[in-house]
Amino acid sequence: MSGKQDNILNTVEKYYKDYGLRAKELKKEGKKLIGYVCSFVPLEIISASGCIPFRVRGDIYEPITKGDALLETIVCPYYRSVFDLAVKGKYEFLSGLVIPHGCDSMVRSYSTWSYSLPYSYFHFVNIPTVCAESSSEFFQAELDTFRKSLEKFTGKAITDDDLARTIQIYNENRDKVKALYEFRKADPPLISGAELTMVLTVGSSLPIGEFNTLLDQVLAEIRKRGKSPLKKGPRIFIDGACLDNIELIKLVEELGGNVVADTICNGARDYFPKTDVGRDPIDALARRYLDKINCPKTYRENKTGTFEGDIASRFWDIGAYAKEFKVDGAILYVYKYCDPFGFEVPARKAYYKSINVPLLPLEDVYSAGTMSQLRTRIQAFLEMIG
Amino acid sequence: MTATQAAASIGPMVKEFITGTLRARAEGKQKIAYTFIVCHHEEIFRAMDVIPIWTENFAGICGAKRDAERFLQKAESLGLSRSLCTYALCGIGFDQWREELGQMPPDAPWGGQARPDFMISSGQILCDPRSKWYQASQQFMPDVPIYNIDLPYPLFQRDRDHRDVWGYYHKYIVKQLRGLVAFLEEQTKKKMDYDRLRELVNLSDRTWNLIEETYDLRKAVPCPMGTGDAMNTMVPINFMMATQQAYDFFVNLKKELEEKIAKKEGEVENEKYRLMWGGGLPAWFALTDFNYFNSKGASFPVETTYRMVAPLNQMDIPETKDPIEHLAWRWLGYWTFWYDRAQKRPGSEPDVERLINRIEEYKIDGVVMHEAFSCRTWHVGLIWQLHQLSKIYKPIPVYVIGKEGKKEKIYRELPSLILESDIIDITSYSEVDTRNKIDAFIETLESNRLNKAA
Repeated sequence: MSGKQDNILNTVEKYYKDYGLRAKELKKEGKKLIGYVCSFVPLEIISASGCIPFRVRGDIYEPITKGDALLETIVCPYYRSVFDLAVKGKYEFLSGLVIPHGCDSMVRSYSTWSYSLPYSYFHFVNIPTVCAESSSEFFQAELDTFRKSLEKFTGKAITDDDLARTIQIYNENRDKVKALYEFRKADPPLISGAELTMVLTVGSSLPIGEFNTLLDQVLAEIRKRGKSPLKKGPRIFIDGACLDNIELIKLVEELGGNVVADTICNGARDYFPKTDVGRDPIDALARRYLDKINCPKTYRENKTGTFEGDIASRFWDIGAYAKEFKVDGAILYVYKYCDPFGFEVPARKAYYKSINVPLLPLEDVYSAGTMSQLRTRIQAFLEMIG
Repeated sequence: MTATQAAASIGPMVKEFITGTLRARAEGKQKIAYTFIVCHHEEIFRAMDVIPIWTENFAGICGAKRDAERFLQKAESLGLSRSLCTYALCGIGFDQWREELGQMPPDAPWGGQARPDFMISSGQILCDPRSKWYQASQQFMPDVPIYNIDLPYPLFQRDRDHRDVWGYYHKYIVKQLRGLVAFLEEQTKKKMDYDRLRELVNLSDRTWNLIEETYDLRKAVPCPMGTGDAMNTMVPINFMMATQQAYDFFVNLKKELEEKIAKKEGEVENEKYRLMWGGGLPAWFALTDFNYFNSKGASFPVETTYRMVAPLNQMDIPETKDPIEHLAWRWLGYWTFWYDRAQKRPGSEPDVERLINRIEEYKIDGVVMHEAFSCRTWHVGLIWQLHQLSKIYKPIPVYVIGKEGKKEKIYRELPSLILESDIIDITSYSEVDTRNKIDAFIETLESNRLNKAA
């Protein structure tokens, strides 16, 4: 991927709209691309194997057709859309796919994926549901199985040094993303929410080295900016699962809001936690992906004995980012049929109340068809807090 | 209406253990725990004299009594979406209401669900709501602690022998179960009696094998007991394991089925079609649909739902004298039971292999499944399983090598029907639509029957 520094965001937009463009080029060069869903897949191991991780995404403008002939409609609509694109051949350049235990929809449809798609490599990574010392030991063993499986697929050993090197590169990547988030602290922010999500979405379709170069170029571009692309408005926090399209964020910004922070899976949830260096790499990866990724799928014990203490502990990241990025209001965006997030809605609502951040909870179906309904609700919310 | 005396006896049994928990709550002598079925931890509970409240069971009762709606609405009023597991919504709605009132909600089904001393949830690989439900309920009961047991099993992967990894799975499950023992010891202020635990594990193992032998009797033609009954006899399997009562229940059921077989007494008077309930939890408020099938001459000799046991003597699991280690092996043995068979058949998968096995063993003419909209755990993958089956059971005659090595022309078409509604949300159900679908399905079965006869 290349682009002159002064129009790098145009290049990002091009790669966002034609998602997988660079992956197709790499495939022609003989590279192996491994698709993945969810933030629980340890990308460092895929990169250390010499393969290129590629985040498969959905398309809210594409009606789900072929996918519904194979997968039940009670599956999370985001995941259905991803599957639908995959069976339609959108990701035919992939050599394999990795699915983690991120939710029931992922677990229960694994067979359907693995038999319906023509990839030569499939792997399921089992993620513990609790954070305990024994869970960490188990997860290390599971990651080692993943490592061996990739070694078998590529015919290349993955050494601890390989892993340490990729851990370093991914940590640099996370530092750069964090630096990009810093531009959101200005009022109005120097980078719009739509631009930032577009950069991160495109980045997840690139080799990590190219993603880092892209981030350097974007950072340089934003640094040069004299003023924000947005008018000053209510500073909005987006809370939810994976939001791999910019439509919701664009809508908020069109209506006068400034999206300045998030906990989404292809945002702060995934990019803020770093992997510890200087310890056994598999151990370090196990700890990052299990302990540091704050996903509702992972059960975290209430050690306080109070509900208030429990939510303060579980949702600490929301409170910290809301303060750090000075948010005025939040949108909790949950997909229909999403059990991990869905069951947390009352607790999250209570938490937002406890930190005095007005909240708009939305349940949606990952479709462009609902945007007009969302527009009305978001507009009313922005007027209320504005 | 049930075909067996044994199934008819289940209703009072369930009522008794619901009211039993209320009595125990009032007496306060024994600790009461909310928990889930299919966790292989019943033996631990009973050895510690902890009374389990199976919260899915209570939600199912609310559904069967067509009285879940008000609890579902309570949950919705808290911000929970109706698209989530409705067992959990019903339970959370009930808990919130009970805690708000400080007493049972008015006219609570069978007296209501007692307040627990603690909650044992389960982060299993197959069900997200199991680790989210009690966490959500804790909002209204912050003083009630939770212990969440993680019980993974290796997912089937075509290119791998599950035994390559199950050593570390076993080690982890053992630690999780020992953690449960430690938690219960702390809560009950009692030490685990491992001799008693060993006896209970042995009792469960014998019950598992007995259930397998009993259910195998349903292969008889005509079939002496159908799935409508099995949705009752699932109670001792799933809610009463590790009790002598459960074992005795199956001794009696086995005897009753043997007597029926001797008398050639079937579930239906004139058995025309043998169907399999091939997936999905039932709509608890519409169990009479099984009677409707029966009225058309359709019997259900087998189901995959709630048959949560497998013959231990066919499990390839290591011997151990440690009951906790055995429970962990049994867990892995159960979930991987069909893996080796699936590896041998290209394009197969454990759930598909189980269906094929049941179709052949029970001489099945058609498959019925139920897609409950609120449950991804048991209802995702069913369409694909039917796709795989249709590659084997084709709607055209096929030639197979039969007796004496001669080619034989056979019809292996296997019609299927997917019913759609929910486990307890009655608003999702239309009796007219459901029965129209059943009628059309029966017509297809009849047409197949005539073709085969010709």
